[in-house]
Parts: sequence; C-alpha cells; structure tokens
Amino acid sequence: MAQRKTSPLPGFRLTLGYTLLYLCLIVLLPLAATFLKTATLTWDQFWTTVTAPRVLASYRLTFGTSLLAAMVNLVFGLLVAWVLVRYNFFGKKIVDALVDLPFALPTAVAGIALTAIYAPNGWLGKPLAALGIKAAFTPLGIFIALTFIGLPFVVRTVQPVLEDLDAEVEEAAASLGATRFQTFRYVIIPMLLPSLLTGFSLSFARALGEYGSVVFIAGNQPMKTEITALLIITKLDQYNYAEATAIAVVMLVFSFVMLLTVNLLQWWGSRFQQPH
Amino acid sequence: MSVEVRNITKTFGSFTALNNVSLNVESGELIALLGPSGSGKTTLLRIIAGLEFADPGTAQVLFHGEDVTNLPASQRRAGFAFQHYALFRHLTVFENIAFGLRVRPRATRPSEESIRERVTELLKLIQLDPLANRFPSQLSGGQRQRVALARALAVEPKVLLLDEPFGALDAKVRKQLRRWLRKLHDDIHITSIFVTHDQEEALEVADRVVVMNEGGIVQIGPPHEVYDRPANAFVFNFLGNVNLFQGRMDDGLMKIGDTELHVAENLGTSVSDATVYFRPHDVKVSTEPVGQESIAALIRHINLAGPVVRIDLERADTGSRFEVELNREQWQGIDRRVGDRVFVDLQRVRVFPTDHKTPLEDFSI
Repeated sequence: MAQRKTSPLPGFRLTLGYTLLYLCLIVLLPLAATFLKTATLTWDQFWTTVTAPRVLASYRLTFGTSLLAAMVNLVFGLLVAWVLVRYNFFGKKIVDALVDLPFALPTAVAGIALTAIYAPNGWLGKPLAALGIKAAFTPLGIFIALTFIGLPFVVRTVQPVLEDLDAEVEEAAASLGATRFQTFRYVIIPMLLPSLLTGFSLSFARALGEYGSVVFIAGNQPMKTEITALLIITKLDQYNYAEATAIAVVMLVFSFVMLLTVNLLQWWGSRFQQPH
Repeated sequence: MSVEVRNITKTFGSFTALNNVSLNVESGELIALLGPSGSGKTTLLRIIAGLEFADPGTAQVLFHGEDVTNLPASQRRAGFAFQHYALFRHLTVFENIAFGLRVRPRATRPSEESIRERVTELLKLIQLDPLANRFPSQLSGGQRQRVALARALAVEPKVLLLDEPFGALDAKVRKQLRRWLRKLHDDIHITSIFVTHDQEEALEVADRVVVMNEGGIVQIGPPHEVYDRPANAFVFNFLGNVNLFQGRMDDGLMKIGDTELHVAENLGTSVSDATVYFRPHDVKVSTEPVGQESIAALIRHINLAGPVVRIDLERADTGSRFEVELNREQWQGIDRRVGDRVFVDLQRVRVFPTDHKTPLEDFSI
C-alpha cells in the first residue's frame, strides 16, 4: 500500500476547507454574481454594450494609462527601493514611511489633493500650464493619479528581496572583472526580476480597478477622459445593472489574462530557484 | 606571479583588524593564512583581492612588482572563492563559469566558440561536465565550490584567493576537496593564498603556512617547520592538541611538581614562571618508572574508540589533569584500568614563559 504523504503540521483538512470556503464567499461568489447578472442579456445586447464606441474608448484609456503608470512605477519603485536599502541618510525612516502613504490615504482624498495641485491654477498646474502642458482633466492627470497609488507595490515587493541579496555575489562579479553597471545589469536585475514582475502586476492590477483617485482629476469627458470604472458606475446610477456587469466582465477577463501572463513570465523568471 | 603586501594596517572603528602586516608570496606558491577568528586573515585576503582597502598611509599591495594598491577588485585580476560560494543562482553552471569572459570589454572578449571551449575545458578539470546545464541550487556543497573555483580560474587570474573555501562542507567532502585543490595547484601552479582556521587543512595543503593572531603575523614557514618549531606558545597551542604544566625554569632545568626535566635548548635561560608544552602523542607511558624524569599519574578515563587510545591522566604530585594518545600496540603493553598508576616520560617538550593573557584557549572546532 502506498503511504500517504503526511505533513508534520496538523490541520491540513481543516485549513484547506476553511481557505476554500473563505475564497468562495469573499471572491468567487461576487464574481459569479457578476457573470450571472450579465447572462440576463442576450448575446447581441452584450456585444453591443461592450463594443459601444464610448466603452471601447474607456478600455483604451484605462489599460493604456494603467500600463504606463505601472511601467513608470517599475522603474522609480526600483530606484526608491534601491536608495532605501543601499544608502543611509538623514530622515530615511520618514521616507520609508512616506512610501506607504498612497496605501493608507482614502483614494478620494488623494484624488482631490492631486486635482487641487494639478488644476490650471494649482501649485504644479500653473507652471505646467505656462509650459503648455495641461495635467488635470486630461489622460496625463489620470496617469499621475495611477502612478501615485501604484508606487508602494513595487517598492514593497522589491525592498525585502534587495535586502536579502548577498553582498558576496556582487563582490564575486567584481573579482571576475565586471564593471558596476555589468554587475547591476547581469547579476542584480535578474535576481530581482521575479519581485519586480510581482510589483509591476500588483501596481497594474490596482490601477485597472482604481476609481476614487481618478474621477476627480480625470474630468470624465466621454470618449476622452472617461475610465471604465466610471462608466460602470454611470450605468449603475441609471439602474442598468446588466450592462454595468457586462462591462465589468470584460474588464475581469482582460485583467485575468494579463495577470496570468505576468505570472507565467514570473515563473519563467524565477525558474532558477526551483529544484527540478 | 608573486604577491607582496607591505605595511598593511586596517581599522574598523576602534577595532584594529590588521596591524602593520607585511608578507611576500613567491610566484607559484600555495600559501595558507591560518589563525583563529578575528586574527585578521580574511581581512588581509580581501585587501589583496581589492574587496577591502587598507588604511591610507604606507600600505602597498604589489602583484609581480606592480603596484595595485588603489586598483578596484574588477581591475586586479585576482580570482576569489568565497566560503559560501557566491554563485550566480540565476545562471547555469556553464554560464557561471563563462561570466568572467562574457563581461570583458568587446575588444578583449573571446569569441563565443572559444568561450565554449574554455568553459568545457574547466568543466572537465572540475569533473562536472555532465552538470553544465544545472542551476547552482541543484548541486551539492562540494560541487558548488568546485564551480566557484572554475569560475575564478576562467578569467586566467594572476593569483587565486580562497576564503575558507572548505569551511561550509562536511568533514569527508572537505578532505577530498583539499586534496583535489593541492593536486590542482600542482597541475596549474597558480600563485594561491587560502584562508583557514583549520590547522590540519593548512598543514596538509600549503607550501608555507602563515600563522596569524590578533591582527599580526606570528610565524611563517613550511608546515613541518611551523609544527615542529613553533615560534611561541600561541602557535604551539593553535597547531594541535596540547598539554601544559606550569613550573620554573632554572638554567635549562625545568621544575614541575616533584619532577625536574632537562631541556637542552633552554640551557642558560632562567624564567621563574614558565610553562612546559607537549603534544599528547609525544609521550612514553610505562607501568614502572623509567628514570628521574618519569611523572607518576593516575588513569582517570580511557577512550578506546578510533585508531588511537586516548587516556585522561591526573598527576600524582600536583593533581593537574592531562591527556595522552597511544597507538593500540603501545596500549596493549600497558593495559591498565581506570584508577591504576602509570609513569609518563615526556619525549618532546617546548618551554615558553607563561602567558597569563591567554591561558589555554580551546581552538578546536
């Protein structure tokens, strides 16, 4: 008889059962409801709703700005994490705490604050306007808001991995003749890659669903600065629940595919860590 | 390629890791830096590698007469092997070894074909050619350290520096690997310096042993010389098991308890507070006194496991404890029980002034 693999920790069935129940209640049930509500539409109604020009424009805007914001966060999040791990300076603890602020701040507050600053008469809006750049009430404003809320994800996922990097590995690279840049490019970045991808996908996912901080600064002009989340809210306000969930389903499927891709990339990027 | 360091001092805050150390390593030599932890041996090695820099002043590091004191590690071409290997875990064994060749400036970078050739050659040298495509996480400790050595050798370094290269390995692999290193060195004759706190390793592998303590060099010499003619009590103590009896030295006559020993080499010296050092195996044990210098002792414990018989003894006159080692044949001729009386004659002793600062430290691992 084959022996069952046992874990030294008790409670496998209990914890697994609880996990599944919990995930069903918290995640799967609402998602299923979205799909069920959408199913009340006919295929034609569904297709017309989700491919309306105004809706298509909102997809482009949402995915475009989210992707851009996540990419910017990838670069600058790495920079912030690097500075926080590698250097000691006065006020480092405060800077470290500041990074979490976008997590803690109610998004509506962030939205209003950003709008006030970037509005044509705001602190930053005025000099920008003088340069002919309009920030608030344009896609640029949306991009700024999404960058703001996504920053902590990259910093907080990269920071612990960077802290754990063995200094000896860099010394080994140096003793083999690698320049500082080569060590960074061929040794440090590949080792950080899995955590960078995680940070990127978290930041991207957060930006896709972001509503509160964007609606104030976006201006919400149909076809120009209207994000998908806002469209969904608008449909809900009109008691058009089925159409609202139809758009939500499209967003869900898109997001799922994207996150899956990132996860596959991540698995590929960290293959060296898995004994096989 | 010879290596020379002159007047190296290195302080970390108020701690002096190295105090005005100078050392000359001949071309093609295999040198061991031996000392307890905190003796500065690793710091010295890292300064030679360019991973650490000596305090500014008259300090100099010379590779074959060429001053490299201010060159960073990346420009010294000194191969370095770390205790914990420091392999690039995201690269395969092959790519780890090829790394040093691939990061060369375009002008001096070998072609893909010659990189492949060189790496394959090194993989054969470390006997790991079937594992070229594995990742470091899939190798054993001994295999990882061999990969680390091949990686260091790939760039044809002027000197090979090894920091406790076998320290993280288990006893058996450690012995195999250090014989392998000795053989490798006999084959390629690269000037090599390795750091160790294991005296057995240093004495077995090195051409010359540099014994270090408290940031300075205590003695330099071939293994047998360092072992047989230790410069001071510290070296004697550090290089193996040791027993000591305190007493007074009077013109070559050492008084310990009720016994007087004639120590020829100390004729003419008198020290009121001296200590006799002797190794547990440098004794003769008999059931009857052999002469004036026999020390009466009681057997307190007998350990028969292993190739030698270890016996704990207590001196009849002073009550101080010491340990002797006999081979099985010698023991058969005695064959006494715990509590019985035997007589011990010291065959080879060294006498040093008593060191009250470091009484008897246990350096064994």
